Amino acid sequence: MTKDFKYVGKSFPIHDAQQKVSGDLKYLSDMTLPNMLYAKLLLSPIAHGLIASIDTSKAEALPGVIGVFTHLNTPSKAYSRYRIIPDQDFCLEDERLLTDKVRFVGDRVAAVVATSKETAKQAIALIQVEYEALPVLSTPEKALQEQETKIHPMGNLIHKYEYKLGEQVLLSEDCVVVETLTSTQKMHHAAMETHVCLADFDSSGKLTLWAACQGAFGVRTIVADLLELSYNKVRVIKVPMGGSFGGRQETILEPITAFLAKEVRRPVKLTLTREETIISTMTRPATTSRIRTKVTMEGILADCSVNTIVDAGAYATSSIDNTYAMSKKICKLYRIPYYEHSGKTVYTNTPVAGGARGWGAPEIMTALEIHMDAVAKSLKMDVVEFRLKNLVHPYDLDKASHISLGNAHVIECLKKGAAAFCWSKRYYREPNPNQARVRKGVGLACAAHKNGMYGGFPEHSTMTLKMNEDGSFILNTGLHELGCGTITSIKQITAEVLDIELDKITVLEADTEYGPYDFGSYGSRVTYICGACAYEVAKRLKEILLECAAHNLQKPKQYLAVEQGRVKIIGNESQSMSYRAIATTAKIKDNIDIVVTHTYHGTSNPGAYAAHFAEVAVDTETGRVRIVDYLAAHDIGKAINPGMVEGQIQGGVQMGIGYALYEELRIGRDGSILNGSFKNYHLLNAPDMPTVKTLLIEEGGDEGPFGAKSIGEIAFVPVAAAVVNAVNNALGTSLSELPLTPEKILASLKK
Amino acid sequence: MQIEFKLNGKEYNMEVSSTLRLVDLLREELGLTGTKEGCGEGECGSCTVIMNGKAVNSCLVLALQIRGQEILTIEALEKDGQLDKLQHSFIQNGAVQCGYCTPGMLMSAKALLMTNPNPTDEEIKISIAGNLCRCTGYNKIVTAIKEAADGKY
Repeated sequence: MTKDFKYVGKSFPIHDAQQKVSGDLKYLSDMTLPNMLYAKLLLSPIAHGLIASIDTSKAEALPGVIGVFTHLNTPSKAYSRYRIIPDQDFCLEDERLLTDKVRFVGDRVAAVVATSKETAKQAIALIQVEYEALPVLSTPEKALQEQETKIHPMGNLIHKYEYKLGEQVLLSEDCVVVETLTSTQKMHHAAMETHVCLADFDSSGKLTLWAACQGAFGVRTIVADLLELSYNKVRVIKVPMGGSFGGRQETILEPITAFLAKEVRRPVKLTLTREETIISTMTRPATTSRIRTKVTMEGILADCSVNTIVDAGAYATSSIDNTYAMSKKICKLYRIPYYEHSGKTVYTNTPVAGGARGWGAPEIMTALEIHMDAVAKSLKMDVVEFRLKNLVHPYDLDKASHISLGNAHVIECLKKGAAAFCWSKRYYREPNPNQARVRKGVGLACAAHKNGMYGGFPEHSTMTLKMNEDGSFILNTGLHELGCGTITSIKQITAEVLDIELDKITVLEADTEYGPYDFGSYGSRVTYICGACAYEVAKRLKEILLECAAHNLQKPKQYLAVEQGRVKIIGNESQSMSYRAIATTAKIKDNIDIVVTHTYHGTSNPGAYAAHFAEVAVDTETGRVRIVDYLAAHDIGKAINPGMVEGQIQGGVQMGIGYALYEELRIGRDGSILNGSFKNYHLLNAPDMPTVKTLLIEEGGDEGPFGAKSIGEIAFVPVAAAVVNAVNNALGTSLSELPLTPEKILASLKK
Repeated sequence: MQIEFKLNGKEYNMEVSSTLRLVDLLREELGLTGTKEGCGEGECGSCTVIMNGKAVNSCLVLALQIRGQEILTIEALEKDGQLDKLQHSFIQNGAVQCGYCTPGMLMSAKALLMTNPNPTDEEIKISIAGNLCRCTGYNKIVTAIKEAADGKY
C-alpha cells in the first residue's frame, strides 16, 4: 500500500473539535425546548420482588407535578431494547416501560413528569411502594440451581446452544491437554455524559426524539411499535453525545421518555445521574469461559472445546446474540482442526448486560489468550513461538462463518510487535527469579474481531451525495458520530475521490425523517461498510461530474481528471473547469441536478487483528499493579486517519487496563450495588496511564475504502489478557479471575 | 440570596437560592453550557472551572461560595476571537474525541499553566488527575498540554 493519497492516511482532528474546545457544541444534556418538562424515574431499591402496592397520591398532589406513572397506568406491552429491525431473531420481549415485578436494583418502577428537576425529584421521594420480596439470584450459578425461583416466567436459562466444527482426529503422537477457567466481570461503559433523552409529541400526532444513540432507526423501530405509531410519525434525530462504547447501542431511555411526552403532550427531558446510569442502564456482561485444548508436543493445536456462561442480568436484551458472538471469534484467530463451543445465557437479579465495545470478543479473547499462555507454559515453549505455529494466515477461511478472513495479518502484528517490544529479552520463560518487593513481568495477547455484520445479519448502508451550486458537497447519511472521528474519516474518503478539501464537504448524521437508512454505529462496521458506501457514492458522483464537464469542455470523459476542486483535461493543464462552474452550468444550462443516492451492500467480513504487549510492575506488599510499558500492533488495512486510529488504540488500552485491574460493578448477595459511583468505581486517570506505542500494519487487500479495516473495538480486545499475562509472568501465578484487584494478587502470593 | 461575583471578566449581581450549585448557576441560570456535568460528586472533573486561579469542580461549589470571587469558564478561554494556545494544541494533537471532558480538561490545564508555565509531564498528569476521559487514554491530552506550554501554538 505505497500509493500516496492526498487526504487518506493523513491525520485530521475530529470534525467538531473547534466547537468542542470552545464549549460551543450542544450535547443532548445541554439542550432545552420551550415549555419543556422534566422526568425522573423511581428505580427499585431491591433486587427481586413483586410490587404489592404503590401509592402515588402524595406525589400527584405536589405542586408542579404534571403526571405520575406506574405499571397501573402505563401500557404493559413487552419489548426488546435490542431490536434494530422488525422481526429480528433473538430479541426476547421481556421488558416493560414500568414494571410490576422488580428484577434488579435499578429496575424502573415509576416515573414522574414535573415542571422542574427539583420537583420531579421531590415527587419521586413521595411515592410509596410496598414490595413482596422474592429470593435473589445474584449469580448465573445460583439462577441455574434455584429453578423454583423464576426471574421471568420462562425460567432463568434464556438460551443454550452447542455446536461442533470440523472432525475430531485421534492423535497417535503424544500431546498435552490444558484446561483453564477465566471469568470476566460486569463493567460500566463510563461514557462521560450520563444517559439522557428528549422527546416531544406534537399536536399533529408526530413524535420527535432527540437521541444520543448509536442507531436511530433501531430506536424508531422499538418506540414506534411500542407506542403503536406509524414509522413516518416518529422522527429520531441523532445528536452529539459524550461517549458511548456500546452503552448507547440499545434503546434504553427513549421508550419511556417518548411515552411520557405522548401522555403529557409537552416536551419531556429525562436525564439520569451517574449512579442511575451505572446501575440502571447497561453493563458489559459478566462471563465465565472454560477452555480445553489438546495440543501436540510440537505445539500444534488439535482441538479446542469451550464452555461459556453469559450473565445477562435481569433482561435478555442482546445477550443471546452476545453469547453466540463469543463462540464465533476463536476460529478467526487460530487454525483449529476441531472446535466445539457450548454456551448458556442466564438471567440473574443484577444490572442488565448488553452491547459493549468488542461485542463478545474481549470476553472470549481474554479467556483464550490467558489459556494460550498456559498451554505454552505446559509445553515449555515460548509464547510467541507457540502462537506463531497456530495463528491464521491471510485468506484462511473462517471455520465458523465459512467466509474468508481476508488479508489477515495477525502473524505480522505478533512478529513486528515482538521485535519492537524486544520481547525475547524481556520475557521470563522460567519463573521470575526476581524476588524483590516490586516485580516486573511482560505479557502479550493476540486478538481477532470483525468488520461489519455480513455473514450474520443484513449488511448495507445508504447515502445521498449532493453537489451544491458552488461546487461544495453535502453527504446525507445514517451515521452516528460517537466521538471516534467517523465524520472526519468519511469526509477524507469522499475528499480523496473528489479531490476537494474537507471543509467543502458536510456530512450529515442520522435523522430517520430526513436521512437515508443505516443500521447504526456498532459491530465494527462504520469505516468498513459505511466508508465503502461513501467511497462508492463519491465515485458515482464523480462520473456525473466528469460527464457534465466533458459536455462543456468538448472532450470525452476518459481524457478528464479531477484535481483540487476542478476538472482538467489530462495533458492540457490550461483547460479546466471549476466545480462551481460545472455545478452551476449543469443546473442552469443543462437542467441537471448533480446528486447520487447509493446503497452499498457488504459482501465480505475480514478479520481485524492486533497483538498487544505490556510490561507491568507488581508491588507484592500492596498488590498494586502499574503498567510501565505498552505496545499495540494492529492490522488496520489502511489507516484513513492515523492520528484518530492512534487515539482509538490509546483509549482502548486505557479501558482495557481498567478491565484487567480495577473496573468491576460489584454486586452483593442481595443484589445491591456496592460501587454505584465514581467514588468507588475506579477509572484509570492520567497519572496511572502508560504511554502507548502503536505500530500499524497497513497491507490493505480487503473491500474497505482504500483497504481500511476496523479499529475502535479491536483496540480494546487484547488489552486485558496482555496485562493479566504480564502479571502472571511477573509473579509466576496463573490468575484468570478478572479484575486482578490487589486483594486477589496478594491472596495468590500467599498460596 | 444576593451575590456579586466576577465571571469571565464581567461583574454579576444575582439572586440565587442557598442550595444552588455553581454548575447549575452556570449551565441553567446563565446558559453557559460549555461546563459539563458527569458525576455530580467531584470525581470526573467534567465541570471544572477556575475560581481565583485554581481549578475547582463546580458541582461541589455552591453558588453562594462565589460571592466576591472570580470565576473563569471554558467560554472565557477564547480571547478576541482567537483560540487559547491550549485549545489550538488540543485540536492539532487529536486530544479531542467525544469532547465531553474537554472543557474541564482544558480548564485544569489552564489553571496549571497560569501558575506553572513550564510543567513537566508528571506535573501535567497530576494537574489533570481529577479529570476523567474515557475516549483518549490521556496520551494525546498530555502531549497537547506540553506542546501548548512549550509555545508551539
